[in-house]
Amino acid sequence: MGDSVRLAVAASERAERISRAVLAALFVLFALTFAAVALVRGDTFFFRLATEALILGGVAMAVDVLLGYAGLLTLGHALFFGLGAYVSALVLKETPSFWLAMGATLCVATLVGLLAGVVFIRARGVYFALITFGLAQVVFKAVYNTRELGGSDGIIGVPQIDIPLGLLTVSASSPGSFFLLTLIFVMLLYCFLAWWMRTPLGRLLVAVRVNESRVPFLGFAPWRVKLAAFVMAAIVAALCGALYPMLRGLVSPELLTFQTSGNAVIMVILGGVGTLIGPLYGAALLTGLKSVIGTWTEHHLMIIGALFMLSVIFLPKGFAGAVLPRLRRYFAGEASNASLTKKDAGH
Amino acid sequence: MHGGACMNELLESLQFIYGPQIANGLAIGMAVVLMALGLTIIFGLLDVINMSHGEFYALGAYLAVTLAGQGVNFWFCLVLVPLLMAAIGYFTERTLIQRVFHSKDRHILTLLLTFGLAIITEDLFKLGYGPNPYKPESPIPGASELFGIMLPNYRVFLIVAGSCIIVAVWMLVYRTRLGAMVRAAAWDKHMAASLGVPVERVYAGTFAFGVALAGLSGVLLAPIYSVFPTMGKDFILMAFTVVIVGGMGSIKGAVIAGLLLTQVQSISSLFISPVWSEPLVFGIMVLFLIVRPQGLAGRLGHG
Amino acid sequence: MKQRQLRHTPLAAAFALACLTLTASSALYAQAAPIRIGVVTPLTGTYAGIGQQVKWGIDLAVKEINDKGGIMGRKIEAIYEDEEANPNVAVQKAEKLFQVTKVDFLTGTVNSGSTLAVGQVAERNQRLAATTVSFSDAITGDKCSPNMFRVNAKAGMQSAALVEWMVKEKPSPSVFYLGPDYEMGRSTVAAFKSAAEKRGGKSVGEIYAPLDNKDYSPYFGQMRAAKPQVLYTSVAGNDTVRFLNQLSEFGLAKTMQIVGAAGTVTAQNMGAIGKAAEGYVTGAAYSADIDTAENRKFVADFKAAWKNEPDLYGVDSYGVVYFYKAAVEKAGTTDTEKLRAAMRGLEWQTPQGKKLMRAGDHQAVQDMYAVKVTNGKFQIIAKVPGEAAVGPDTCTRF
Repeated sequence: MGDSVRLAVAASERAERISRAVLAALFVLFALTFAAVALVRGDTFFFRLATEALILGGVAMAVDVLLGYAGLLTLGHALFFGLGAYVSALVLKETPSFWLAMGATLCVATLVGLLAGVVFIRARGVYFALITFGLAQVVFKAVYNTRELGGSDGIIGVPQIDIPLGLLTVSASSPGSFFLLTLIFVMLLYCFLAWWMRTPLGRLLVAVRVNESRVPFLGFAPWRVKLAAFVMAAIVAALCGALYPMLRGLVSPELLTFQTSGNAVIMVILGGVGTLIGPLYGAALLTGLKSVIGTWTEHHLMIIGALFMLSVIFLPKGFAGAVLPRLRRYFAGEASNASLTKKDAGH
Repeated sequence: MHGGACMNELLESLQFIYGPQIANGLAIGMAVVLMALGLTIIFGLLDVINMSHGEFYALGAYLAVTLAGQGVNFWFCLVLVPLLMAAIGYFTERTLIQRVFHSKDRHILTLLLTFGLAIITEDLFKLGYGPNPYKPESPIPGASELFGIMLPNYRVFLIVAGSCIIVAVWMLVYRTRLGAMVRAAAWDKHMAASLGVPVERVYAGTFAFGVALAGLSGVLLAPIYSVFPTMGKDFILMAFTVVIVGGMGSIKGAVIAGLLLTQVQSISSLFISPVWSEPLVFGIMVLFLIVRPQGLAGRLGHG
Repeated sequence: MKQRQLRHTPLAAAFALACLTLTASSALYAQAAPIRIGVVTPLTGTYAGIGQQVKWGIDLAVKEINDKGGIMGRKIEAIYEDEEANPNVAVQKAEKLFQVTKVDFLTGTVNSGSTLAVGQVAERNQRLAATTVSFSDAITGDKCSPNMFRVNAKAGMQSAALVEWMVKEKPSPSVFYLGPDYEMGRSTVAAFKSAAEKRGGKSVGEIYAPLDNKDYSPYFGQMRAAKPQVLYTSVAGNDTVRFLNQLSEFGLAKTMQIVGAAGTVTAQNMGAIGKAAEGYVTGAAYSADIDTAENRKFVADFKAAWKNEPDLYGVDSYGVVYFYKAAVEKAGTTDTEKLRAAMRGLEWQTPQGKKLMRAGDHQAVQDMYAVKVTNGKFQIIAKVPGEAAVGPDTCTRF
């Protein structure tokens, strides 16, 4: 009896894992197809736009770590995205080294994430949403008023760097190669986060979301788990932010506004909360929509807003949330068929 | 002699620097409290963070501008706009909030829905009224001197009217049958329902009431702060801060926190660059969350 | 065999005809291929009102030029993208216009952050751009770009004109400053302050209020205590509406002369400011009542087309299209290098009079005015020649 339950659970987990992997693989395939088409057409704009979508998708993925796994809605994740972008821009202007910029961002983001996290994870539910919203606003104003950080003008003239990757070197000025680099980077982040969520710590995170008061009985402190998630979300967003000045050659305080945070949340909801891969689909969808709608009407906000509300009402689990169960059923059916045949063979 | 000069200086600084600062802080405080009241009442009963509260405030102001353009008197607007806004609020609750109200993550879903609504509404203002600001004429022009402090008459009116509204809201929630029903529903909705309280309608009614308050603030504040599409963002951060410090869902807390925090902001801007007075207020909020996460006072219906 | 040939003749003829038509139409097409001007401007958000004037100005100029046969026989076409007053959106949209729409020229940015950002995009795409609104001195100063031109007056020119008028009106005045607390606001105040002090002005106080400030009354105590003769302000947009109204509500407006930056009181917010704007003086490159035949015609056409008065953003955006036209006609091509050479030192005609594009820093030199709000309209009260206002060339990059 216990054995069969364990088997069933393992099978359904396996089906879940496979369907997520398929969805991720489809995303990569989709991105590569796009890259092939863009390459043939010799396109710069769409490459850069898609790279930006990937970067923002990475930020949305970080938001999903908090919202989909820890159950904490952040309305101020632009803070960490902007932090990464500014640290990277400042480093690159001094020393145009990719690894130095990423390393510095990692250190600063860990530190700031820890400091902010210690205070913020005390806040629950809507308090957390409001306090992250508030902090991002305050930091935005502070950067806007700090002459050393370029003030309202931001920092321009970030050099286009060459990125040494062992055997080959990728230039940020080549839109195609930088797109591929960003794709690999974001997918590595995805794989890492997906793996992280399967470790005991990741499972505890879900336990905290489902019933925080029971977690201490299991012998764990919920706040440590939440803090780990918060710091992780900060690092992921900051690392993605660090790629931004390499792409565009500038940073400005507007990166820190509520627009960025709000867009990240919209991407998570459209793409599918709690799936990690969904936000990447959401980012592709939102960026594409904005670019297309923005060309034929100045009232694009209305359309995005309406789409977002419709999604919240009718498709609260988003694109991935709608597709995943189907994939899961398909693979679960295949798996049970397989195990049945195996059993028959055993007899 | 020397002491006398000192004394005079002190009196003078009290009269000319602190006095006006405190009086103006009071007028701003009233504006913030009016915004925070609606927010906190909606949260107290429905557990909904209304992200479009600022846009409802703006809608109130735009309605007032439109009605004034049709020749409607300001004082009549003061009554008419909240009524219109209540209808809009009731409709919003029934068609939007109720849709996701019974799902597990209603905190987050309602927050997201109202966030989407805010995006759309702001764009609608621009579509309907253009991007440029409107400035309704002040219905009570001129200024008066009180103890040597110059204050525009309309601000004196705002302080008085704000106080009256706060008292009226208080009476309505704590001294009437209607208020008792609301408090009962906030305390335990199943119990209230079994006692014959029409919980669904109380929810919608409360939401409508909160929205009407936002609209009323819009009418009242438009002559001071002018009317433009993004005006909804003006008070929202401060109002959220006030609601958190005062205790989510507490009327008393919102009033105290609103008046205190605006005084902190107002007086601190004499000593530090005003740009940093906002982070200061925000710092107080963070401190409060650490030391006293439930806020100054308890929730609606909870004592 | 013969039959077959015969049968094929009509087909071949048709084919030949089709080929002919195609070549002919493509030749026609090449001749008529429009020159594209990309306009990246805020159509939403706080600066949407300025974006509106930019669009009106450009659309009017484009229509006029096209009605007269375009530039060197080619029509022009303006293509708009909303930059949401956000440099990060601006670079994306500028790249789209350069790469996808293949525009020949770019203009329209409003806030100086966006202008600087777009300048960098233009440089990386080897194309030219111009601003018609941003007045930060840095754009043609220490952050100048070989691909960016400015056809409007910079902050330094505006304060030079204003100071000139002020010291004539009130010799050695006491001045109080109130600016919005961000870099641009501070540097505008600093520029005016140093210009005023050089001409004998006494500074009696300086306050910076946050951007999007709700209430200015908390600062009135300090202002009243300082008893200045002149109040200089560089707040803009909706902030000005509140600031000037509150000043007059508190009875302070009567006690001093209020002067300010060119972006402080404009056609967009003048209506909302109402009576509180009366008597306000600023240094500006334009007023709708400049009494020349060109300007009278421009104002009449603008009003006929858009039911609104042009302001300095509208006129400078109108002027940039003529600037481009003059440059292309001088260069005889839209090639970047040749066009840049043509633009440097170019003189062209605008409703504001003749302007000169200075070669050293890509800053337009033009006559400046002190204008005063009288009965809800700007009236010219003094004129400062362009050479006196523009100041030295500080650009070192080219």
